Parts: sequence; structure tokens; C-alpha cells
Amino acid sequence: MTVLIVVLVVALVLIAWLVGIYNRLVKLRNQYKNAFSQIDVQLKRRYDLIPNLVETAKGYMKHERETLEAVIAARNKAQAAVQAAAARPGDPAAMQGLQTAEAGVTGALGRFFALAESYPDLKANQNMLSLQEELTSTENKVAFSRQAYNDAVMGYNTARETFPNSIIAGATGFGPAQLFELEAPAVERAAPKVSFT
Amino acid sequence: MNFFERQEEARRSTRKLVVLFVLAVFLIVMAVYLAVAVALTWAEDTVSVDPWNLTVLGWVAAFTLTVIVVGSLYKIAALRSGGQAVGRLLGGRPLQPNTRDFKERRLLNVVEEMALASGLAVPTVYVLDQEKGINAFAAGFGPGDTVIGVTRGCLDLLSRDELQGVIGHEFSHALNGDMRLNLRLMGLLHGILVIAMIGYWILRTTSGGSSSSSSSSSGSSKKSGGGQLAFLGLAFMVIGGIGVFFGRLIKSAVSRQREFLGDAAAVQFTRNPSSIAGALKKIGGLAAGSRIVNSHAEEASHLFFGNGMGKGFSVKLDDMLATHPPLADRIKRIEPDFDGKLPAVDAGAVSQAQQLAAKEEEETGGLVPGLAPRRAAPAPAPAPPPAAAPRTVDVDPGTIAASVGTLDQAHLELASSFLARLPPALRDAARDPSGACATIFGLLLDRDPALRRRQLDDLQAAVEAPIHEETLKLGPALDQCPVDARLPLVDLALPALRRLSEPQYRVFRAAVERLIAADAKLSLFEFTLQRILLRHLEPHFHPSRPPAVVYGSLRPVSRQASLLLSILAHAGQAQSERAAQAFATGAGHLSDTRAVATLLPFEQCGLADLDRALAALVQAAPAMKQKLLEACTATIAFDKRVTIQEGELLRAISDSLDCPMPPFLPGQALA
Repeated sequence: MTVLIVVLVVALVLIAWLVGIYNRLVKLRNQYKNAFSQIDVQLKRRYDLIPNLVETAKGYMKHERETLEAVIAARNKAQAAVQAAAARPGDPAAMQGLQTAEAGVTGALGRFFALAESYPDLKANQNMLSLQEELTSTENKVAFSRQAYNDAVMGYNTARETFPNSIIAGATGFGPAQLFELEAPAVERAAPKVSFT
Repeated sequence: MNFFERQEEARRSTRKLVVLFVLAVFLIVMAVYLAVAVALTWAEDTVSVDPWNLTVLGWVAAFTLTVIVVGSLYKIAALRSGGQAVGRLLGGRPLQPNTRDFKERRLLNVVEEMALASGLAVPTVYVLDQEKGINAFAAGFGPGDTVIGVTRGCLDLLSRDELQGVIGHEFSHALNGDMRLNLRLMGLLHGILVIAMIGYWILRTTSGGSSSSSSSSSGSSKKSGGGQLAFLGLAFMVIGGIGVFFGRLIKSAVSRQREFLGDAAAVQFTRNPSSIAGALKKIGGLAAGSRIVNSHAEEASHLFFGNGMGKGFSVKLDDMLATHPPLADRIKRIEPDFDGKLPAVDAGAVSQAQQLAAKEEEETGGLVPGLAPRRAAPAPAPAPPPAAAPRTVDVDPGTIAASVGTLDQAHLELASSFLARLPPALRDAARDPSGACATIFGLLLDRDPALRRRQLDDLQAAVEAPIHEETLKLGPALDQCPVDARLPLVDLALPALRRLSEPQYRVFRAAVERLIAADAKLSLFEFTLQRILLRHLEPHFHPSRPPAVVYGSLRPVSRQASLLLSILAHAGQAQSERAAQAFATGAGHLSDTRAVATLLPFEQCGLADLDRALAALVQAAPAMKQKLLEACTATIAFDKRVTIQEGELLRAISDSLDCPMPPFLPGQALA
């Protein structure tokens, strides 16, 4: 009888402990998913701004159709990628796709602004200035929320990989989460900014 | 009944439910004993087992109590992070404070207005996307971790006014200490529900996995073993039934009256009975009603706005155990001439109409709070507050203390007009994590150019470049910001600040400390700001135990009380004689005047000491807090004038005592 009770109590404590680990993993996973939706809001905002930007520039940059189309194409691709990533935040393949698409948008925008340099009328356009300002600010916000997301993913991955959590994570299907890093950090850190001097 | 009496009452109900809980535990132990005795009699084939075998009883009691205690402790630990834990448990998704979705934006606007009007920090809002019914809940231990949850149906089907009514109802729970009681209840009851859950689990595994288990187990006893196990599971379920029954009884005892109170409060807050009544009628007319489909609904049924559980076996028993009063009764209390007719709500049609209305509102600038057209006939609107608030307001100690934990239409108007007047750049910034950090930094920048430059250099070294840039950008707008709009702006920024990651929060906190320390002085505003930030963010990032009531009288904390009044007296009066008079006026409001006899000299009134004093005073009983707040207000109002700084300090103190105080209305009369 005594042995049985001792065994039962030990089993109970063990179960409670395992459930505790499981719940912690769930909590961390929710945290990084939540952090991703913060990026999601900002990225969507950014992609909403780009068509306006192109629309404004169209009137001035008549001979740069290819560049403008490249910007729009990159933006459309990135918009699809962010939707895919939002459906499965942290999923390595989806995040990889988003990173590539993001780099594409940043590159296309960089070329666009470099070209815009040679159109003084466009540079002076009020609409253009405010759009550019908003783009920069949105990109700064993306950078900040990206950091929050990466912190959360780091916490989750650490919890997932350490022993004994790794056993439970493996048994209950907690996959690894992917950090959101940009492929050309040097370009990204200084958001596409052109001095109008 | 005012805020403080309701707090007292919430504590009394806690005692009542503890009695019921102990009774439930006792009955469960006896039932288990009975089952064991029967089993033993069976097993040994001797009828002569002594019905009062103390050894067996002791073991049974020890075992059962262990299960209950472990169950309760486990749940209490799981709920330690308060409202967020409940939000996650019910499958909720936290809304981003800077969302651009129309319906989500509208919900957040309603919540923000209500929070600013009541003096409660803006809570985190969760949406339960899977729930098509109309329901909502408020959960949390204190102001730092309050969560308001709303179902998808609520978001899609209710008009702005009805939404406001529902949110008002939830705010009354948040303001009246119901939330903390409800969460404790959830944790405690889990222990007695756990036996039924174990039984359910055993039954499921034995019936579901019997074929696979028989192949692995050997010997002839396997079949009877499975049968015994199933019997054991059944026994657990039956015994657990006692726990489930008592669990519901306790919940209904605590929760039903509070729902009526919540409805009444919603009417009081919005001054628009049709708002909450309309929402209740829509629940009645909707096929999905207020049903919650999540499997954790039973545990949290007492947190909800409407009855979240489906119908049981017996109507009579259901009525007795329901966590919520019948819908018709609730509507009748708000609209006495209610005819009992509930027009059917077609979810598809309503959401279509809403879509149209949404479009219209979006076009007319409905996304800007305060400008949203009110569809239902509004109550006679009070005179709009003057555009420029005067630098002083007149107040009456009694009415101010009585206003804690309430709000009314005038406050709501003030809040929405504040939101509408706020420059869009500031409003957007406050709703975004990086922008919210920059807003707080910008508020702390000094007016002195040299000092300001030093602060900015400091900041540049401490935080990331984007935030530094944004602070520079927001600086001028913040300097233009009226003095009385600064703290509401901080309140507005709190939800976005909760979205920071833990390392980001640490950087943020350190930067705030450096900015405050830059001029080697702690101003009243800096103190107030830091106090608010720490109180509302620290529990979110590092959950800790909420304060319990320790002091029934002011005697043990008299030193702290006199320090509090002394600081207020010195803050209001420059000359020490006048300060002494102000102090005496305030102390006169305490029943036990001997407890706080003398004004402390100015040198002994450091704001750092105030921190410690408040940490002690928050543990006083609600009635004591009421007296204290009256005394504080009297001290400040000694010269019949309250400056904005004094008002802010008073509100921060009240907030620190867990008593959310609505903002002062400009020109509020001295009664």
C-alpha cells in the first residue's frame, strides 16, 4: 500500500513537471508568433506604400519603366511571401522565402531612389517627400519589431533544444523556429535614404 | 456602494467561497473513503471491515488532499502571468496596438477611450477568433496585466455603441476587483475538478487503447485488470462529480450578482442603456448566442460577459448553477418595459451591414476616435470640454475619492476628445513599440538645450539608432503637447510597450533611468512617469505575487502615511507654515488622527522614500485606502486650487494604491 502511494505521488509529480515544460514551450511559441504579427503589421504597411510611391514617380520618370516595374514586381512577390510567413510564423522555409523577398524589395527600392536622384522635380514633390519619410519610418519600425521577434525566437529555440526539454519538444512536435535576418545587413541597416542636397 | 465597499465585498465573498471549498473537499474525501471501503470489502470478501477504519481514512485523506493541492497549485502557477494566461488558454490572439483593420481599430479605440476615462492603464486586448458567439471577458490580477478578451462574433456583429456597452461591463469587472477574485477561483477550483478530469482520462485510455494494451501485458489477470481500471475511472468520475457540482455552485454564488452590477456599471459609464441592452438582445437573437466552444470554457465560465456554457440536462439545476442570470432578467433590469421579444440576428446580414457602415465610417474619418458617428440616439451630451484646459482645477476631497473606480459620460467625452485632439503623428507613435519608446524618451527630455543635448547623446549610446531618430523627430511635437496630455499619452503607450521583447524592455528601462538621472534631480513629473511605467510594465515582464491585504488599520503604517501627506503638503505649498496647515487639513480626514501627528520637514520627504511608503500602503484594507485618498485630496485642495502637477501626482499615488482614479475634468466644481 505504502509503496503504491509513493509510486503514485512520484508519478503525479513527474507528470506535473512534464506538463509544466510543455506549457512553457507553448508559451514561448505563442510569444514569438505574436512578435511576428508585429512585423507583419509593419511590412504590410510598407508594401501598401510602395504602389503610391511608384504612382507618384510615374509622372516624372517616364523613361524608367523597367525600374518601376521591377519595384512593383518585387513588392508583389514580397507581399505573397509575407502572407505565407504569417500563416506559419517561424517556419524555416516560409521565413527564408520572406527574407529573400524582403532583400529583393530593398534592392529594387535602392535602385529606384538612386535613379530618382536625377529628377529634381520628383525630389521636390511634396507627396514624394512624405512617402519617403513614411517608408523610412516604417522600415525603422520593421527593424525594431524584427529584433523583438528574433529575441523571442532565440528564447524559444533555447528552451526547445536544452535537455530535458528537447525530449518533450521532439515528442510533441515543437519544430525549430527561424530567425528573421536580412541577407544584406549593410544595406538594410541604413534604410534606403537619399540625401536631397 | 462605492469602489472601496465593493473591494471589501469582493474580499468577503472570497471568505464565503473558501467555506464552500472546504466543504467540497471534505465531501470528496468522504466519498473517496466510501469507495475505498467498498472496494476493500469486495476484495477481501469480508463484510466486517470497520466502517471507521482510521488508518485507511488517513491514507485516503492524505492522498485525496495531495491530488487536490497539487491540482490547485499547478493551475495557480499556470495562471501566474494573469490575464495573458487566460487569454492564451481560451485561444485568444493579442491585438497589435497599431492594427489597421477597421474592426480591430474600432475595438481598440473603444477600449482606449474607456481606459483613459477611468484612469485604468490601457489593457491588452485579445480576440478569440474561433468563437462566433457574442461574448467577452476581463481577466488579470492587477492593473499591470489586465486583459480584455472579445470574441469574433462580438467584433463582427455589434455596433460601436453596443461594443462600448460590453467593454464598459468588462471594465467594471476590472475596476471592482472581480477579476482577481475570478482568477483565484479558477486556480482553486481546478484542484477539485482535477479528480473528474483524471477519471475521464482513465476511462478514455482504457476504452480507447484496450486492444493495444492487452497485447503488451501478460498473464491471465489482464482482462480483469482492464475492467478494474475502467471501474476505477468511473469511480473517479462519480466522485469528481461532487467537485464539478461544487465548482459550479461556488462560481454561480460569486458571479451572478456581479453580472447585474457590471450591466449597471456599463449603463452608468456610457449613459446609454440601449448600448448594453442592445448587445444582450443580439446575444438572445443570435443562434450561436454567447456560447464559447473552446474546451477550457468550463474553467473560465465565470469570467465571461454572457453565459458561455451550453444547456445541461435539467433546466432547474441549470438555473441554480448558472454563472450568469437569465438574459431576459438582465435586459429587464436595464429596460423595465422590455417585452421579451428578441429579434433574430442573422450573422451574415449583420456583418454585411457592418461592412457597409465600416466603409462609410472609414470615408468620413471614423477611424479617428471621437469622430466616429454615433448610430444610436446618444444621451444628451454634456458641454464639450474647452479646447485649452486651465492649469488648475477645483476639486472636492469626498467626491474625488468617491470617483475612484467609476467614470461617466463626461470622462468618456474628455477621453475621446483628447484622442481626437492628439496630433496623428503622436497617436500613431504611441501605438507602435518603437514609437512608444521614443514617446516616453521624448517626454523625459529637458527643456534646457544644453542638458537636452547631453540627454540625447546619452540616448544615442544606449538605444538603437531608429529609436534615437524617432525621439528626435517626436521631440518638437511633444514639447507642444499640453501639460495635461502627457500622462494620458503614457497610458496610451503602455500596450505597445508590452509588446517589447524582454531584452528590449531592459534596454528601455535602463534608458529611462538614465534620462531621469541626467539632471541629478527627480522632478514630480519624472517620478510620476517612472512610477506608472514600473507599475504597469514590470508585472508583465516579471510576474510576481499581487499584493495582499495586510494592514487593517493605519497604526502600523502611520509613518508611511504621514510621509505621503507631508510630500503632498510640500508639493502644494512652498512655505512650511502653509504646508503644516495643509497637512493638518489632510490629517483631519483620517479617523485616527494620532496616527499621523506631525508634518515631516521638507528634507525628509524624498521621492525615493515615497516609493517604499507606497509599497507598504498598497497592502492596506480598502476602507483605509479610501480614507487615505480623501486625506491626500484634502491636503492638495487645502488652497482650493489643484495644479496639473499636483493632480498628476495624486492620480499616480491613487494608481499605486490599486485605485484607478479618473482624470479631473477641467473646471470640475468644488462641491
